[in-house]
Amino acid sequence: MSPEVLSVILLTLQVATVSTLIVLLPATVLGYVLARYEFFGKNVLSALVGLPLVLPPTAVGFLLLRLFAVDGPLGRETLGFDLNILLTWKGAVIATATMSLPLVARTAKATFEGINPRLELMAHTLGHGRLATFFQYSLPMARRGLLGAVILGFTRAMGEFGATVTIAGNIPGRTQTIASAIFSAQQVGAQARADFFMLVAIVLGFLAILSAELLGHGRALPRVARP
Amino acid sequence: MTSVPPTHDSLQDGSLDGLTVQVRLPLDRFDLNIDLRTEKHVTGIFGVSGAGKTSLLETICGVRRQARGIIVLGEETWLDSERGVFVKPSQRHIGYVPQDGLLFPHKDVRHNLLAGRKRGVRRGHPVRRTFETAVHILELGPLLERSVHALSGGERQRVALGRALCSGPRLLLLDEPFASLDVALRRKLLPFLRRVRAEFQIPMLFVSHDPLEVQALCDDLIVLRDGTIISHGDPRAVLTASHIFPLAEQHGFENILPCYAMEGGGSTGQVRLGEGGDAERVSVELVTLRSEAQPGEALLAGIPAHDIMLATRRPEGLSARNVLPARITQLRSVDHVGLATAELSPDLPPLTVEVTEKSFVELGLRVGSEVFLVIKATSCRLYRTGERRRT
Repeated sequence: MSPEVLSVILLTLQVATVSTLIVLLPATVLGYVLARYEFFGKNVLSALVGLPLVLPPTAVGFLLLRLFAVDGPLGRETLGFDLNILLTWKGAVIATATMSLPLVARTAKATFEGINPRLELMAHTLGHGRLATFFQYSLPMARRGLLGAVILGFTRAMGEFGATVTIAGNIPGRTQTIASAIFSAQQVGAQARADFFMLVAIVLGFLAILSAELLGHGRALPRVARP
Repeated sequence: MTSVPPTHDSLQDGSLDGLTVQVRLPLDRFDLNIDLRTEKHVTGIFGVSGAGKTSLLETICGVRRQARGIIVLGEETWLDSERGVFVKPSQRHIGYVPQDGLLFPHKDVRHNLLAGRKRGVRRGHPVRRTFETAVHILELGPLLERSVHALSGGERQRVALGRALCSGPRLLLLDEPFASLDVALRRKLLPFLRRVRAEFQIPMLFVSHDPLEVQALCDDLIVLRDGTIISHGDPRAVLTASHIFPLAEQHGFENILPCYAMEGGGSTGQVRLGEGGDAERVSVELVTLRSEAQPGEALLAGIPAHDIMLATRRPEGLSARNVLPARITQLRSVDHVGLATAELSPDLPPLTVEVTEKSFVELGLRVGSEVFLVIKATSCRLYRTGERRRT
């Protein structure tokens, strides 16, 4: 395996891992809040969270591009310094995180909805406050579904193409991931290279789902509420 | 050296924290509107389903935030909406046992039992000792390392009861803890509740629509209908009051009398009514079907009100094994059914007998009439309590 090919695989894993770690906490909290609380604007929030699932990924990527452009709200001219997002692996992380957050949040929401809220009330009557109940009861009871959500988010991040290409580009050795490498190879007719990355994608995806099955002893991919 | 804390919460002299609940809570069909004051050990809450029993318990727990009014246990005020007092559910020191157990699926039995340990420790409750007592009286020893998924229905409810006790509660709320179980199993679980009652001086509210459970456990009874208390008092008196009796009738009212087993006599069993111990002026014996009870074992005899016949003279040539002299103390009619209250002896709880109004007239029954109660041995049900006769 050439160092260049290896770097594409490693970068893909790196981007997916960092993106999953970033998404995990906000998506879990968001899922819990949407599952347990009633508040003004809940439906709007829920729709906003689901939006990246239904938009063309390139539209999401372009939105991010406008956000981080030199003259954008988070660009160099506004902030006074450069976040160094565009055309870097950090840009790829932001793109994949944006795309996988709704999937993780909605799966987490479905998981929490599947847990009897009276179990949490029971924890309250046994002397546990809200935070303790969340960390010692809600989270552990949801662990299988949440593990599934994380795996789902991770595989989504590994396969993300449209948004990533739009904001981070497709620069071999710098921002090229497995998904964009397959696209480039196919564009220039490099059949063997495209085949190879396709196989790598299949193996990685399969391992991810299998590990979830083995760790969770149950459904790795819980029911996902699609918008 | 610090002194050893008492085993259980309240004082051993039997004094209990009084409970005052004066609350209003809007529900779907009616308002819950409760004014309850009790200082008894076990207060039963009786009523048909949908009467507001669970809402009342949830209000006391503090999970119904819309409730207005006052809830005070002993010196502790948990709710006083006028003064803006609202104590969170986690700070109320309540042991709640729901109908469906609500065991935590991610913990084994031991850790379910200890789920409320921290609060118990915080308020100086001897959690370890309570844990040992609860495991002993609820016979949970062999279950401790099990997953809660591997428990039967009765075992789950025993664990839920143990978990509530181990949190060092000041008040126990039992919401039809055995209602999801079949009748035979419920009868087997009765002794566990009686042991909890004997071992823990904690005030309890016990929701039930089973007249037997109510009579076997409660010192006080309220009846709820459409969110309000329609009767409050001694359980037997309340259950046989003419406006309450039809409610119990759905399940058939059963007279419950304490008794203890005597030497068995071949194909039948024999019990002596009463608690034993103190000198009883009249000893009344009852012939029953054979039971597994050991001589001296304390039992509860259950005699359905409609299985007792009244006779003004001692009948002869009858297959019924029990013909007991008694005196009528009360007569009343409920929906064309005559209810007679008959006393076997001043030491024993009176029996309620259900006959037709016509029989009242034809037999010329009056308060004070001397009669005979005719009871078939097969009509006497025996319930084990797991206790011995008082000596």
